[in-house]
Amino acid sequence: MTAPADNKPLLDVRGLTIEIDTRRGPAVIVDGINLTVGKGETVGVVGESGCGKSLTMLSLVRLLPNKIRVKSGTAEFAGRDLLKMSKSELRQVRGGKIGFVFQDPMTSLNPVMRIGDQLCEPLIYHRNMSKADARERAIELLRLVGIPGPEQRIEAYPHELSGGMRQRVMIAIGLACDPELLIADEPTTALDVTIQAQIVDLVKDLRKKLNMSVVWITHDLALIAGLVDRVAVLYAGTVVEDAPVNELFARPTHPYTRGLLASIPKLSDERASRLSSIGGTPPEPGRRPKGCPFAPRCALAESVCHERVPVLEPVAGSTGHRVACFVAQRQMMEAA
Amino acid sequence: MTITPVILSSTVADDEPPVSLWRDAWHRLLRNKLAVAGLAVVILLAFVAVFGPWLTPYDFLTQDLNARNQAPSLAHLFGTDDLGRDVFSRVVYGTRTAFVVAIVVTAIAVVIGVALGAMAGFFGGMFDRIVMWFTDMTMSVPNLLLVVVINASLKTPITAWMEARYQATLNPFYRETIWVDFLLVFGSMALISWPPYARLVRAQVLSIRGRPYVTAARALGLTNRLILMRYIVPNAIGPLIVSVSAGLGTAMVLESAFSFLGVGVNPPTPSWGNMISDGLRVWQHYPHLLAAPAAVLGLATVAFSFLGDGLNDALNPRGSK
Repeated sequence: MTAPADNKPLLDVRGLTIEIDTRRGPAVIVDGINLTVGKGETVGVVGESGCGKSLTMLSLVRLLPNKIRVKSGTAEFAGRDLLKMSKSELRQVRGGKIGFVFQDPMTSLNPVMRIGDQLCEPLIYHRNMSKADARERAIELLRLVGIPGPEQRIEAYPHELSGGMRQRVMIAIGLACDPELLIADEPTTALDVTIQAQIVDLVKDLRKKLNMSVVWITHDLALIAGLVDRVAVLYAGTVVEDAPVNELFARPTHPYTRGLLASIPKLSDERASRLSSIGGTPPEPGRRPKGCPFAPRCALAESVCHERVPVLEPVAGSTGHRVACFVAQRQMMEAA
Repeated sequence: MTITPVILSSTVADDEPPVSLWRDAWHRLLRNKLAVAGLAVVILLAFVAVFGPWLTPYDFLTQDLNARNQAPSLAHLFGTDDLGRDVFSRVVYGTRTAFVVAIVVTAIAVVIGVALGAMAGFFGGMFDRIVMWFTDMTMSVPNLLLVVVINASLKTPITAWMEARYQATLNPFYRETIWVDFLLVFGSMALISWPPYARLVRAQVLSIRGRPYVTAARALGLTNRLILMRYIVPNAIGPLIVSVSAGLGTAMVLESAFSFLGVGVNPPTPSWGNMISDGLRVWQHYPHLLAAPAAVLGLATVAFSFLGDGLNDALNPRGSK
């Protein structure tokens, strides 16, 4: 695992809070997220549907849907706050310095444009390339993401490609301008399992080659185990645990992380057993519990959990492992 | 950056040439017999409109008072009218009028409608509301009434101004009243024709602007103008083409209706509408004077509407079968 070259992270999100307008007034959906991504580092952001993973990433390039907005917090990217940039500066960052890969390759490509033209668009716009140069580069990119016969494929329309191929094209578009950061928002969710593994391998290979940072959003911990350096576990819009990936799998500390890991089915299970799951549902926006958001579903919850909100604190005996849980912290103190 | 193939596994092995959506639609259109018939008639009429002057044996203005109100014959295919003018030639020139009016009016209406509709749908908010107020307002006034009012109120002052300019400059251009006719006809028809296009495009844009590929385009840092022109409008164009095809036919009918009422293209410029109007007065005695222009107008309308229907099916593959 590569460590960041210097101490200053490429992306530093602090106290990011996002709220949505509801009929009963604004409701917080992302609550004070802290997240850092080092240069060349790959970070997995894990959590169940609706926990705010995608919104957090969309808010970085200010692409939040209507009625959802950033309430407070900062998001420094290479030393500049993305949330305070002018629109023209932001346009240079979008696509130029931060590349996006979206969830559904079936609908994320413009159906009436040849994929070559879609690949050339950011090159012409951000890099001021001539059409001929951009085309050359587009072929190069298609080859890079493992599309066979790129010279022919460049003329294809999205509907002529399979889902896996389209996601490769999406990745190629995301990579077009050599971004420093690639944000992949559940890029494999819409694909079948063998293709998922191919896409993971592809990104794994590319980030080494291109020396870029990657944020991979997913709800599938097992999928990214071999890909990411570090994992941030999100629950109801807060980071509950943040640890190097090996550490997280070896010593999951937050009850929610443990629940997530336990719910990955294992082939070694001898008997046909029920899939393990976490009881209950995450809180709805606007109905967040007073204390720890996970407390109502937590088997270990104590009275303090319902009273106060835990903050991320280092886990004793390991570097870079932080958890936001009163019970886990106390247990560790007792063990020490 | 070094380039090496990463993964060579492939799910796309076929070598068939890429087929564009438009070519697909074209093939579907050709399978529709009514649409092909409509297209053939439209092309024929367009040909007649362009090359009319070289096709007709007579000038549309030449009067032959010795051959008035003749029935159709080899010399005069559609007969002659009460001034001895060849009806066939007049119908051919009328085709030219109908096409010029239909194309210019539809073009103006589409440009206004697409621009306003696309921006209203894309930006939303106050701009959207104001545009929609205007479309609702325009659509709530009966078309014919609006055009009659515009013509009645503007024609006299404009003609008076032109005459005054002529007196002052002696420039013969100011005596060419045909331009005033066309200006008023085009202007007022375009004014009543753009709202449906604006509404159609706005609805399309509203549904398209939320699609993932638009978000993806924004995430690429593209400008609003680029997103609107390359991602949103091209995806909204299918229903627009259908609407334009039908709209061309409607514009021809509209022009005829106005000419019929005497507020459209003025005689002696031949227009199907004013020929029908003239023919209607004497149809018991000389039915061919009514039948010829009416039949061609009917044929053109039906052809455009078949073509529009065919395009609708061809551009919405899910809608057919």
